[in-house]
Amino acid sequence: MKKRPNDSIRIGVLFSETGVTSVIEKSERLGTLLAVDEINETGGINGHALELVSYDPQSSPAKYALLAQKLLLEDHVQVILGCYMSSQRKAVIPVVERWNGLLMYPTLYEGFEFSRNVICTGAAPNQNSVQLADFMLRTYGSRVFMVGSDYIYPYESNRIMSDLVFERGGEKVAEIYLPLDASKDNYEVVVQKIKQTSPDFIFSTIVGDGTALLHRAFANAGLDPRKMPIASLSTCEAEIQQMGAELAEGHITSAPYFQSVDTEANRRCLENFRKRFGDASVTNMCWEAAYFQTHLLANAMRRVGSDNVADLLTVLPGSEFSAPQGDIKIDEHNHHTYLRPRIGRANAAGQFDILCESESWVHPDPYLVSHTLQDWSAPLTTLVPTARP
Amino acid sequence: MKHFEGTPRLLRELRSLRVLVFHPDDHDGQELISQLHRIGCQVKAYWPPLEQLPEETKLIFFAIRPEILTMDLPWLGREDTPPVVPVVTYENPVLVEAVLNLNAFGVIASPVKSSGMLTAIVVALSQSEKFRERERYISRLEQRLAGQRKIAKAKVILMKSKNLSEEAAYNLIRSRAMAKRLTTEEIADALIKADDILGG
Repeated sequence: MKKRPNDSIRIGVLFSETGVTSVIEKSERLGTLLAVDEINETGGINGHALELVSYDPQSSPAKYALLAQKLLLEDHVQVILGCYMSSQRKAVIPVVERWNGLLMYPTLYEGFEFSRNVICTGAAPNQNSVQLADFMLRTYGSRVFMVGSDYIYPYESNRIMSDLVFERGGEKVAEIYLPLDASKDNYEVVVQKIKQTSPDFIFSTIVGDGTALLHRAFANAGLDPRKMPIASLSTCEAEIQQMGAELAEGHITSAPYFQSVDTEANRRCLENFRKRFGDASVTNMCWEAAYFQTHLLANAMRRVGSDNVADLLTVLPGSEFSAPQGDIKIDEHNHHTYLRPRIGRANAAGQFDILCESESWVHPDPYLVSHTLQDWSAPLTTLVPTARP
Repeated sequence: MKHFEGTPRLLRELRSLRVLVFHPDDHDGQELISQLHRIGCQVKAYWPPLEQLPEETKLIFFAIRPEILTMDLPWLGREDTPPVVPVVTYENPVLVEAVLNLNAFGVIASPVKSSGMLTAIVVALSQSEKFRERERYISRLEQRLAGQRKIAKAKVILMKSKNLSEEAAYNLIRSRAMAKRLTTEEIADALIKADDILGG
């Protein structure tokens, strides 16, 4: 369909404003909004403004599926930006496949997925788990206590971590899963167990509101993150803002982006972000993926001159962008993204001190079953300590 | 479910798995090969199917097409035939029978989708491994049963010819076996043959 000069191009946005994962999803929405503002200020898509059609799926997979269908069939959008948890993404995939929409997903996840109709811009396990395991096992020891939210991502992440711990002759002290809506008391029981077993570190795959509860229980029990930190793939600046910097300080996160990343693109982006959303605005890895994937989409739309999914898929795979984390690229064959692994330690300001970072981007390998520390010695030796700020 | 203590071998070995694809070069064939590459298997693709398999083939994806009905596949049905996963387009009885004749260990449906393939591969490998182990176990049992029958027959021969009790007959067989460093089955076999020649 030919666009008239003033027609806007509508894209769908599904990030929860309410529910258990809404804190981080709101942040993903803000990253999307910033990118759309930037795109529209610089002439939109060949003169057509981008217009967002957003709904609140309330962190519920069933609502994600319903709203995705509504976006494609009633609002006639072609592309949906959204989803945080794997259960939400899994609910949307059959919908975009059936109606030939495109989902762009800005969240780290457990891998083992490819759909023609999905582009993943968050980290696959070979871009965050292996680096985290290597860092923790080298720095703190190999007795690990695992605690996660009870859904698919934590199980798969723990499988990978277990293999890497066993490879080092380490020991899994415990592997506990809590419901997404677990209470303060549930977390206190877990922390008591941590205190009793005294592991070298805790590997947490708790997501959503539980992250703050775990950290609070940890601090209340008088445990010291300098001796026994919580290591995570998902605890980022958004959760730290929710729980308060003092509860997060000293704990470790592996991610391709932290707000503290020192790149020209990040400085420019943060400045734009603060201009629009205030000086207190905080970014994080999911925000950044939501931001750069929107720009990747806009660039692809400019190239093909439409929002037609079949056309977009001829240019999106293989496309590159100077993201705040550094240059990134969508892989032609698996629709995941080349990213730049980093290890950060939360500081007193609620930000991360970046302890090491990859010198180059790391190819996404979402179907890698057997991660071994040895196999990854090449990218890991390129993780170099950065100067302390 | 059992407690996790390390990723199973079949899953860990996917990257070195040699997979043969017998599929025409069409959309399904390309989808199949792309997904096998994403999983990271070692892939070789041919159409029409080869009469001789490349060495070390561990798994075969096989397009079920009408033209395969008249093909000769000499590698099929051997003890070392790798597991076959048919890619099914038609479901009429003639072609379902063709699937049965391939001794399939799993099926994937056309249009080929990326999801489901990893599970199909691992289930096919695991089931064929178990099937082969069971076959080996059965053949060991059959040999043992045949041996037991021979010993029983040899005991009867000794009991009659030497007027021994069953226990004494067995002890005689056993002591001969030990002296000659042979199995009791082999001694029994020799006794039966000798009786056959001498006794008629």
